[in-house]
Amino acid sequence: MAVAIMRARQQCQEAGFDVSTSCRVATAVSELARNIVKYAGQGEIILLRVSAPRGAGIEIRAQDQGPGITDIEKAMEDRYSTGRTLGLGLPGVRRLMDDFDIKTEPGAGTRVTIRKWL
Amino acid sequence: MDSATNRTNMCSGLGADELMTLYRIDEGDLQRIREYGKIMAPKLGEMIEEFYIWLRQQPEYARFFSDPDKEASVRKLQHIFWRHFFEAEVDDEYIRSRRSVGEAHARIGLSLQSYFAAVNHFLVMINDTYYDGSQGGPQHGATVSSVSKLVHLDTSLAVETFSALINRQLSEQSRAMMEMSTPVTALWNDILMLPVVGIIDSRRAQDVMTAMLSRIAETRSTVIILDISGVAVVDTAVANHLIKITKATSLMGCECIISGVSPAIAQTIVELGIDVGNVKTTATLQDALTQAFRQTGIVLSSQ
Ligand SMILES: Nc1ncnc2c1ncn2[C@@H]1O[C@H](COP(=O)(O)OP(=O)(O)OP(=O)(O)O)[C@@H](O)[C@H]1O
Ligand SMILES: [Mg+2]
Repeated sequence: MAVAIMRARQQCQEAGFDVSTSCRVATAVSELARNIVKYAGQGEIILLRVSAPRGAGIEIRAQDQGPGITDIEKAMEDRYSTGRTLGLGLPGVRRLMDDFDIKTEPGAGTRVTIRKWL
Repeated sequence: MDSATNRTNMCSGLGADELMTLYRIDEGDLQRIREYGKIMAPKLGEMIEEFYIWLRQQPEYARFFSDPDKEASVRKLQHIFWRHFFEAEVDDEYIRSRRSVGEAHARIGLSLQSYFAAVNHFLVMINDTYYDGSQGGPQHGATVSSVSKLVHLDTSLAVETFSALINRQLSEQSRAMMEMSTPVTALWNDILMLPVVGIIDSRRAQDVMTAMLSRIAETRSTVIILDISGVAVVDTAVANHLIKITKATSLMGCECIISGVSPAIAQTIVELGIDVGNVKTTATLQDALTQAFRQTGIVLSSQ
């Protein structure tokens, strides 16, 4: 987890993001990594530099083969948590990033893809 | 028999009777061992001699017996150990002495591998090499089985103590590690400070909280500054821990000021949607200290 956070920050700085955007991205990675550890046990985090007509950016995919999320609507709401914590992780990540996409299937796993553009 | 008071303080500590049952040793076994002792006792000196010839070839030997006096004293103990064995009086005193053997070996840092190899070496000498053939086949078979049972019991006791000691060393180490990683320092009368660096998980958050609360209780400080400028990220989980820590310290009559909240961290916290309530935060350690001084009524003047 520590490694993923450090890599994310480093990649952001290399890609030319300012300090506070790098901080947002590193925090988002930390949220997703914690969810994987907490709810799925294990999984992986992939960091990518991406480019599109509108410019360059960074993409993060956090995926696991854990239990998946049964009620995704609820999970995206503020203050919904099955783990008795704040329940602000997923909705918070959506606010921190530019693009947010979540695919999950109960019993098969979860994949969250997020992007931040320069 | 009062087995409770006979327990050594470091083990789960079954008493002699319970252990005998566990290892299926009965009076007949002990009788056979004593009988066999009549053949073996006169040869113990010779056996130990041979044992040391083998031992000197072992890689760990040099590390433990660099000094000849040490070897002599260990030899004497071994002699006593085996005499004790063939007397086969398995009472609580016997059990205690076996446990202390484990402790002695763990203290010098002998590996379990070498310990088992040494026990095995003795077992072969006793059952085989030094046996004079004076017992009938079936009788010797029964003796060998009795001897093995008691050797196993002895070994298990040594190993049990061995691992208890190692575990204790490990937990002392991790305690020391924790104390080093949560250095709560008194900055001034009534003012404590603790810098945290790296990744905060719930385990570390718990350590930080424990360290803070116990120092507050000790010093009766009224302000504690928790500097987070070295923390990798403040995500919802970390924020949650920080809020809890703040609540706990204020229950103890000590206000917690969180310093090192950079503009980037502040924005991130807001976007995450975390309500920090009335947690006091400052951008720099200096700001926190100024606030703490004001709160404790300390006036700084420069002349
Ligand atoms: N990778 C995952 N696998 C399975 N369930 C997940 C996963 N990630 C999130 N969830 C579910 O979605 C809920 C909401 O997640 P979110 O990160 O928003 O809150 P939280 O982790 O419970 O609390 P917080 O992140 O504030 O500490 C979780 O309580 C959990 O039930
Ligand atoms: Mg979460």
